[in-house]
Amino acid sequence: MANKFDIQVRAENKYAVLETAGYLNDALGEDLSKKAQELIQKGYTQLVINLEQTALINSIGISILIEIIEALDERDGTLNFCGLSATQERTFRMMAIAKYAGIFPDEKTAIANF
Amino acid sequence: MHLSSAEETIQRLIFSLSELEQLGQTLISGHSNFKVSSKTYLRITLGTLQVRRGAILCYHETDNYLSIAASTPEIDDTQLDIEPDEVGCLLESSSVELDTPPEDLQNFINRNSKLLIDNSMHRLWVPLKIHDEFLGILCLGEFLGRAKLEEWEQELLTILAHQISIAIAYSRNEERIQSEKFRLFMLAESAPQICQLLQPEDAAEQVVHQAVALLDSNVGALMLIQANQPNLELHYAFPPDILVSDDTEHDPEKKFIISMEDGDESDPKTSQQMLVNVVKEGRTGQCPAKMDSLFGGRTLMAGPIQGRDGDVLGVLAVGDKEERGGRIAEYTFEDETLLDSFAKQAGVAIENAHLHQEALEARQLQAEMEEARKIQENLIPETLPEIPGYEVAGHYEPRGPVGGDYFDCIELPAGGWGLAIADVSGKGMQAALLMATLRAGLISELSSATISEGSELDDMKNELIDMAMTLNSLLYVSGTEEKYATFFYSHLCPETDTLTSLNGGHNPPLIVKNSGDIVWLGDEVGGLPLGMFPNDMVPLIAKYEAEQTKLESGDLVIFYTDGVTETVNIDDEFYDDERLEQVAKSCSEIDASQICERVYRSVMDFQGNADQFDDLTLLVLRKQ
Repeated sequence: MANKFDIQVRAENKYAVLETAGYLNDALGEDLSKKAQELIQKGYTQLVINLEQTALINSIGISILIEIIEALDERDGTLNFCGLSATQERTFRMMAIAKYAGIFPDEKTAIANF
Repeated sequence: MHLSSAEETIQRLIFSLSELEQLGQTLISGHSNFKVSSKTYLRITLGTLQVRRGAILCYHETDNYLSIAASTPEIDDTQLDIEPDEVGCLLESSSVELDTPPEDLQNFINRNSKLLIDNSMHRLWVPLKIHDEFLGILCLGEFLGRAKLEEWEQELLTILAHQISIAIAYSRNEERIQSEKFRLFMLAESAPQICQLLQPEDAAEQVVHQAVALLDSNVGALMLIQANQPNLELHYAFPPDILVSDDTEHDPEKKFIISMEDGDESDPKTSQQMLVNVVKEGRTGQCPAKMDSLFGGRTLMAGPIQGRDGDVLGVLAVGDKEERGGRIAEYTFEDETLLDSFAKQAGVAIENAHLHQEALEARQLQAEMEEARKIQENLIPETLPEIPGYEVAGHYEPRGPVGGDYFDCIELPAGGWGLAIADVSGKGMQAALLMATLRAGLISELSSATISEGSELDDMKNELIDMAMTLNSLLYVSGTEEKYATFFYSHLCPETDTLTSLNGGHNPPLIVKNSGDIVWLGDEVGGLPLGMFPNDMVPLIAKYEAEQTKLESGDLVIFYTDGVTETVNIDDEFYDDERLEQVAKSCSEIDASQICERVYRSVMDFQGNADQFDDLTLLVLRKQ
C-alpha cells in the first residue's frame, strides 16, 4: 500500500472525478469530504470517486463516504465509485453503500453511467 | 402584505412542523448522519424562533469535549473542553440563561467566552440529552425584536431540542452499528484473504494493513521472534519508516530489533517492554500515551501472534487509534478483543506462509543436493589406471548430505603418477563446485608438471609446494571464508619406487611396511588446508612442505578421508586410527581391491546402525 496520501480533482463540464491515493482514514477522508463539498457547492451533482490507489479504508473512511453520498442525495445528485478491489466492493455492498451509489470497474464506465 | 402576530406565529409553526416532518422522514430512511442534517436542524430552529445566531455543539464523552456540528455564522471546527461536573450541571438544567448562569458552569463559560460571546451565542443554551445521556448544547444568540422567548416559543424550543437530541443519538447509534458491522465484516473477510498468501513478506504486510484498518489505527507493526535469538525482529511496519533505530537508519538492510532479555518485565515503562511482555505472557496488552517510545508517544496496543500449537511466534501492534476529527483515542476493551481474534487468524496465516516457504526451500535444497551429488560423482574416477609394479584401488561411499570428498590417480605427461585425496568443507552445491575447481586446478597443474624420475629431490619438493600454493590461491578466491579443502598429494615414481608427498591439512595416509611396521605418511610435514588463507599469509602460519618415502615390495599405502576414522558406532565411539591400523595390518596377503573392500567392511561393521553424515573415501596403493 502506497504511503502517499493525496487527492486529485478533475472537474469536467457536467461531472467531476476525485482520485484518492493512500489509506482512506480520517485525515484523507476529511480532505476528500472537503473537496467533494466544494464541488457540490459549485453545483456539481455527478461525482466519481476513483479508489484505485487506495488499498485500505477504515470505518471512519467508510462513514465519510456515506456522508458524501448523503450530501449529494440532498441535491438529488449521484455518486459513482470505481477502481475498487474485490474486498472493497464486497464491503461496500455489505455496508449498503452500493444501494445509494454506483460501483463500476473503471472511470470511463462510471462516467458513462450517470 | 402585513401579517398579524397570530398569522405569523401560525406560519412559523407550519414551517417548523413541515421541516421537522421532512427531517423525520430522512431520519427513518437510513440517511441519518447528523453531520449532514445538523445544518438543517439549526436552520429550522433559528428560522422558527427568529434568532439570527446559534450553534449545535456535540458532546464527545470519551475525551470530554464539545465540537461544533453546525453554526450560524459558520465557525471553524473548534473543540471546547468540558469537565464531567459541568456536564452534570447541564444534565440537571432544562435551559441555561447566560445572563444568570449556574455557578458550576461559570468556569466553562469563562474558558470559552471568546468563542461564544464573539459569535453572539450567549443568550440561551439548551442542553441536548436523552434521559441521562448528555449529547450536546443548542446555543442561541439574541432573539430578534424581543428580550425573551414567548411561552409557546419555549415549548417549541423544547420540542426542537428533543428532535435534535434524537437525531444525534440516532446518528451515533447508526455510526456505531455501521462501525461494528464494518469491523465484523472485515474480520470475517480478512482471514481467508491473508491465509491465501504464501510469501511470508506478503502475509506480514497484509496482516499489518488489515489490523491497522480494522482497529481504526494509523500505525502498525508485526515483529516475530528471531530463530535461536531472544529478540523480536520487525517484519513489516506501516508506515514503513515508522520504526527506525540508529542501526536501521544507516543501513536499510538491517532490521529493527527489540531484545527480549533486557528490561524489567514487572514494570513495563516503555512500549518495547510492553511488546516483550505480550510475547512472554501470551496475552494482549496496551501502552498508555506518553509511554510509547516506538510510535512517538501515542496510544499503542499489541496482541500475541500464535501458531497452531499455541506457541507465541511474535507480536502484532497497532497504534495511534483515530477518532472522527483526528483526535487520538485510547483503545477499548472491545478493541483488545478484536485484536486478539484477528491476531489468532494472523498467526495461522503467518505460520502457513513460513511453512510454505520452508517447504519450497527444502525442495530447492533437495534439488540442489541432487545436482551437487551428480557433479561430485562425475568427478570421482570410475576406473583407475594400471601402474607398472603397483596395484591401485579406490572406493567412494556417499553418506548423508553431499560432502566434498575426492580422490584420483593421474598419469603425468613427464612421467610418474599423481595420487590425490581431498575433503572439501561444507556440503551441497558450493562444496561440489569447490571440489570441481580443485580437481580442474590439480589436473591443470599436473599437466604442466616437470618432475620426473631424474629430478632432484629439492626440485620435486619445490614443484609440489608451488602447486599447493597455486591451488591454495585458486580455492581462496573461489570460495568463502568457510570453504576450504584438506588435501593430500603424492607423486609416485615407479622407476625409483619413491613417493614424494605434500600434506594440506589432511589426515596422514597410513603405510604398512612389508615388515608389518606402521608409518604415518606426511605426519611430520606441515601445511594448511587449501583455500583457508591467502597466499601471503600461508608462510606466516604454516608453510607447505614435502617429504619423500621409499617404497618396498609388499608396502601398502592407505589414503583416506576423515569419514573413515570419524565413523561412529551406536555407542558414539570413533572408528579411530587404531582400528584402521589393525585392519591394515591384516591385509598383507591380499591385493589393493580386496584391501579396499576389507577396510570398508571393517568400517561398516563398526558403524552398525548408527547414522553417518560424512562421506567415506579410500585410495589404496600397494607395491607388488
